[in-house]
Amino acid sequence: MSTHARKAPEPVASVITKPLPAGLQETASSEPVMLRPLLLPLLIGATCLLCLLPFALVLVISLGEKIEGAAWQWALDFSQYRRFFVGLEWPDSVSFLYSQKLFYSFYYATVGAVLAVTLAFPFTWLMTRQSRQLQTVWLVVLLSIVSLSEVFVVMGWDVLLSNRSGLPMVLREAGVTGWLKDNGFFPLLREWGLANPRDLKFKTSGFAVILTMTYLVWPYAVILLFPPLSRMDNSLMEAAQTMGARPMTVVRTVILPSIRIPLMGTTLLLFVFLLGVYVTVSVFAAPPQQTLTLSIYQSIRGATLNAPFGAAQAVVLLVSACLCLGASHYLANRSKSRS
Amino acid sequence: MKMKIIGRLYMGFCLIVLLLPVVVVCGAALNSGRTMLFPPQDPSLQRFADFFINEQIWVRSLRTSILIAFSSAALATLMAWPIAYRLWKFDNRWSRLVAGLTALPFVLPPIVFGVGLSFMWAFSGLLGTIGAGILSHALLHLALPLATISIGLNAIDRSHLDAAATMGATEQVTFRTVILPQTIAWTISGFLFALVLSFNEFIVMFFVSSSSYSTVTLQIFNSLRNGFTPTMAVGAITFIATSALVYGLVGRFGDLPHLLGADPTNKGS
Amino acid sequence: MTTSTGSGQGLELKNVNKTFADGTTALDDINLSFPEGELTALLGPSGCGKTTLLRIIAGLESASTGTLILGGSDITTMPAYQRRFGMVFQSFALFPHLSVEDNVAYALSISGVDKTVRRKRALELLDLVKLAPLHARRIGELSGGQKQRVAIARALAQEPRLFLLDEPMSALDAQLREEMQIELRLLQQELGITTIVVTHDQREAMSMADSIVVMSAGHVEQTGSPQAVYSSPRSSFVASFIGKTNLLEGVVHDRQVEVAGVRLTPSSPPSFINGARVTVGCRPERTILHTDSQSSDQFIPASVKLVRDIGPVREVYLDADDRQLICELPSAGATRLSPGDAVRIEMPSEALHVYPRQESA
Repeated sequence: MSTHARKAPEPVASVITKPLPAGLQETASSEPVMLRPLLLPLLIGATCLLCLLPFALVLVISLGEKIEGAAWQWALDFSQYRRFFVGLEWPDSVSFLYSQKLFYSFYYATVGAVLAVTLAFPFTWLMTRQSRQLQTVWLVVLLSIVSLSEVFVVMGWDVLLSNRSGLPMVLREAGVTGWLKDNGFFPLLREWGLANPRDLKFKTSGFAVILTMTYLVWPYAVILLFPPLSRMDNSLMEAAQTMGARPMTVVRTVILPSIRIPLMGTTLLLFVFLLGVYVTVSVFAAPPQQTLTLSIYQSIRGATLNAPFGAAQAVVLLVSACLCLGASHYLANRSKSRS
Repeated sequence: MKMKIIGRLYMGFCLIVLLLPVVVVCGAALNSGRTMLFPPQDPSLQRFADFFINEQIWVRSLRTSILIAFSSAALATLMAWPIAYRLWKFDNRWSRLVAGLTALPFVLPPIVFGVGLSFMWAFSGLLGTIGAGILSHALLHLALPLATISIGLNAIDRSHLDAAATMGATEQVTFRTVILPQTIAWTISGFLFALVLSFNEFIVMFFVSSSSYSTVTLQIFNSLRNGFTPTMAVGAITFIATSALVYGLVGRFGDLPHLLGADPTNKGS
Repeated sequence: MTTSTGSGQGLELKNVNKTFADGTTALDDINLSFPEGELTALLGPSGCGKTTLLRIIAGLESASTGTLILGGSDITTMPAYQRRFGMVFQSFALFPHLSVEDNVAYALSISGVDKTVRRKRALELLDLVKLAPLHARRIGELSGGQKQRVAIARALAQEPRLFLLDEPMSALDAQLREEMQIELRLLQQELGITTIVVTHDQREAMSMADSIVVMSAGHVEQTGSPQAVYSSPRSSFVASFIGKTNLLEGVVHDRQVEVAGVRLTPSSPPSFINGARVTVGCRPERTILHTDSQSSDQFIPASVKLVRDIGPVREVYLDADDRQLICELPSAGATRLSPGDAVRIEMPSEALHVYPRQESA
């Protein structure tokens, strides 16, 4: 079978046939063993523990018992949850004070998340149709804004909404305020909490809270919608157009249905994010319309100092968030198994 | 054509609204008085000197911010590596569970994690120490390097590992000579993301610092009862500039669209 | 410690089996020997287990059972990084973070060879594959053919005991593929290194290899020299996979085979019992076409579907017994044929092969 010539020309063969340089045969077992078999799992386990322990503590302490004039002690006491949902005096009297705070948490988060996704969707679509370089520039801007501390965002909007140098001043100077007054809109605006007898005012108002919250999560919405939209194939739209679909029809019949699930998933994630907003509410919301995050702080660190109750409120927030994350996870899995 | 113009206008509008608070804050920092006004009155750079040099309270909190941001980002990256590596190497139910659990602090409302951390550090007697603050931020932002390193690892062609093995490389040598060099950019990106977010983080630090030290964001919030002042705005500018610089670097030297989930092959239109 | 003869060593596989975790059998009792200094092609359709076999040889995967013996010593459990087998991957697997030269010198650098020594050796190897001028390039700047040369040089750098190539030409375009096949064969002959090439392209296997191993569904169908495998395929699978073959179904009667109502007499009588269902095969260039109407009823009736004139030969596509057959004739002096013509075809006894029928096919 071996019919081919085995006589190799000297110069070529010498490359291979010369003895190996010293050291090649030594296998590299003397390397510092970075992935020691036991050390790493231990490290990973410790990391997991540290990530989970805080949540576990919140859960356990929410069942603790508050001792009057002292701290608290371990117990299996559900009274903090009763206090949360129906008030301490129940069943003699009912108080929905904290349910109302929970309502405002949900209300702001829902409106903010839906607004942000609605406004971010067309923007993200347009952005993904641009060149890769331009996309990178946009992403740099968006990431810088999204990681900007809530404190700074609130600072900016505080100036923008302030009576002396913000939107009310601009509207006053532009004559919009006078026009609204003359045409009888002021009573309505006052009812909405957006005006005092003499002037428009945006601090404190639900409008300011929602505006700031939407601003907080809008870049986040773009970043979350970016992957599905940027992976969407242009030929899909072109195919629809060749079949006679107008641009708006393409959006309605091709784009929206194919990213319906990412849209819902994004809304849920933004909702969870907004549940935890603190500074915006503490600066822009009037006390009766404040959210759970503020009262959690009050209970843990602030005036009331009741750790079990603070923990119970945090658990309610945690459970709500987990439900939303679970839902978005489910949606993501379903869309994955479908495609 | 009309659609195109409307699209451009919309994007322009978004950019303006996006930048408006930033511009206002930057402008307000130039006020020479103690109140935030826009447009600034009698512009001066006095507030910059106050923030960086004169007022000890800001100098100290800036130093704390930097210390916590760098240490926690480095720690988060170090903790994320083994988890990402195992997830990539084995990709079984356990490694996915571990990755999911370590991402929880980042995706759940930070106030809940903050409350939990404050309990945990109170029990261990570490509440209010800088070390506890650093570890808290590292745990909070662990998900970021975990995500970027995972993307980087998944981008490695598995045949590269086989190739290294046939050329005599043990698992450790392969890690050092093939895996690490090909994921270093992703690791740095993850580190930078964690760094910027730690810089700007407020609520968790609010709970775990226990008033014994303060970062810049904390200090601003604590001084709020006197209202916002132009000196705070200088802090804001510093942070915005840092973020823009960091992401600009990632965008310049890395593939930001790919990092954020775009198809690596799709080079845009 | 070092083998100064340099030309690799023979490899022997004994009863190699591979079952995956999900229970599927990838390899079923493989027994092969790869003689020292020869180039052997593992040939088969995708999914036949040839790549799995190569990866087991390389040590990248372990066999479920069985033994690998290299030059007399058992290497079954030896990890890949100790085997010192050079391997060229389908995607070439060149490290993008290293230059051409550093890729070639990788094996030497991780074993701590002195920098000047490994640089010299890398340049020699690059010279061997005619790429020395590009030694400082990054991998991303190379064309497909250049990448393949780098991959070959890199695999040879550690003076491999065995040279393995996994579908080495599949990433190249047709013309380049032809050139690289010749070049690789020349290189292998010059170095006299034991080489195993995995491929699904029978032309590539035939033109490069000393011997061919035809695989299908996890087992070896046939081994032998390219000519032996081509002229006497041992099964209808090999007959149809290596080159083209006209296959028809028949039944055995008294040492003859009845096909489409016609009795054929193979030169080597089939060892089947009467009534056995078989497949008969005959190469297109051995199949004879009869157009005259009064030709013998010893020939199978067929009708012309398509006539293709390809340079020196003419291919006639035919319908016979609900099967498509091909007949290859010399173009020169061919008679007129048009679609629909009724013809008869003859499968000469000496070119007729009889196989047991594969019911699934």
